[in-house]
Amino acid sequence: MPSLQESTRLQFTESEIERRRRFVNLGAEDLERIASVKDLIVKHANTFSAAFFDYLAKIEEARPLFGNVAILEQARTAKHEHLLAMVSGRYDRAYVEQRLKLAMLYGRVGLDSRVFLGAFHNLLQTIGMTIMRESGSDGAQKFFSLEKVGFFDLGIIVDVLIDERERVIGQQQIAIRELSTPALQIRDRLLILPIIGVLDSQRAKQLTDNLLHAIRANRAKVVVMDITGVAAVDSKVANHLIQTVAAAKLMGAAVIVTGLSAEVAQSLVALGVDLSKLNTVGDLQGGLEEADRLLGYVVQRT
Amino acid sequence: MPVPILKQGSFLIVSVQAALSDRDLVDLKNELAEKVGQYRSKGVVIDVSLLDVMDSFATRMLRGIAQTTKLRGANTVIVGIQPDVAFAMVQLGLALEGVDTALDLDEGLELLNLRMSKGEIRDV
Repeated sequence: MPSLQESTRLQFTESEIERRRRFVNLGAEDLERIASVKDLIVKHANTFSAAFFDYLAKIEEARPLFGNVAILEQARTAKHEHLLAMVSGRYDRAYVEQRLKLAMLYGRVGLDSRVFLGAFHNLLQTIGMTIMRESGSDGAQKFFSLEKVGFFDLGIIVDVLIDERERVIGQQQIAIRELSTPALQIRDRLLILPIIGVLDSQRAKQLTDNLLHAIRANRAKVVVMDITGVAAVDSKVANHLIQTVAAAKLMGAAVIVTGLSAEVAQSLVALGVDLSKLNTVGDLQGGLEEADRLLGYVVQRT
Repeated sequence: MPVPILKQGSFLIVSVQAALSDRDLVDLKNELAEKVGQYRSKGVVIDVSLLDVMDSFATRMLRGIAQTTKLRGANTVIVGIQPDVAFAMVQLGLALEGVDTALDLDEGLELLNLRMSKGEIRDV
């Protein structure tokens, strides 16, 4: 379970905020129109806020938000503040930070971005209907101006939700990477390195790095690298393996590669990869026997 | 900075202390070629564990040393290449082909002793 964090990594500079205001085309006229509906919104703020959460409450997928009373209370307060801030006419850094805080609340409870978008749309609609009903003939114009602010907010909140998801994915990737390349010592001076999964260049580099440091730490003389769990080997991966073997040799360790499946062997031959530098043995058992022979161990049944 | 060459039994031990200039490397090569004959050494161990960079020139010089000393009757083992250095060398395509390498001084001496007991290097 990735840790929940209080604040987002996202940082908005003044110029970025300016850029975002430009994206939604928020101009001076809009500010005037928004100012003219300010009292109306402030008057109805509680109703709008309640409508937003009532709408969410009806959606099954929004359950996580309602399961956490403390966060729900915070979200209600923040939403109310949001409505007041929306008509304040100041869409600066402090405003953006308020938005980020609210978005992080949603992110922390894992609110689905689609559910959020639905509820947000509903909120804007409720506001729009109220404005058009109560603010005379150019109600539509006024609402469209306010809607720009709504979409300005939306941009920020969606960014946070996406960023939060990417952060979780990044954390998981790191976790997988750390798990996946252990170098295990099974006898004095003998390491095995089981490789499972897909070898991309980043992982291959990390694996080599890991292995070289393990050779030093364990004073290994022979390494058995088992690639039974690697489904596909292309020329890039083969090249990495060859480099790893060469680097290990520079440190005085011999590498035995085992577990090349029939398909992998055939594809390597078809690719024309020069494998003369690799010492390969059919399976892990054979590799260990070869390693024992190199190290002078004799395994005997008692 | 000259590199100290220590005589230990029938082996010579070279401990590289700091980053070597190209000049130092050439001097080391000449001096080793000289001393191997002078002391009738059977093996040379060059410890490079303090080096954190190994460029193409250094690699070529080390290979040159190995080949020269071989002609003079001594096997050379390079020991103590750091993990990062090893990886960088491989990526740059700087292989020490035909040169023995070992983890550290201990291993290097053991390798030379092994070679000697197998008769690959004639003992006196």
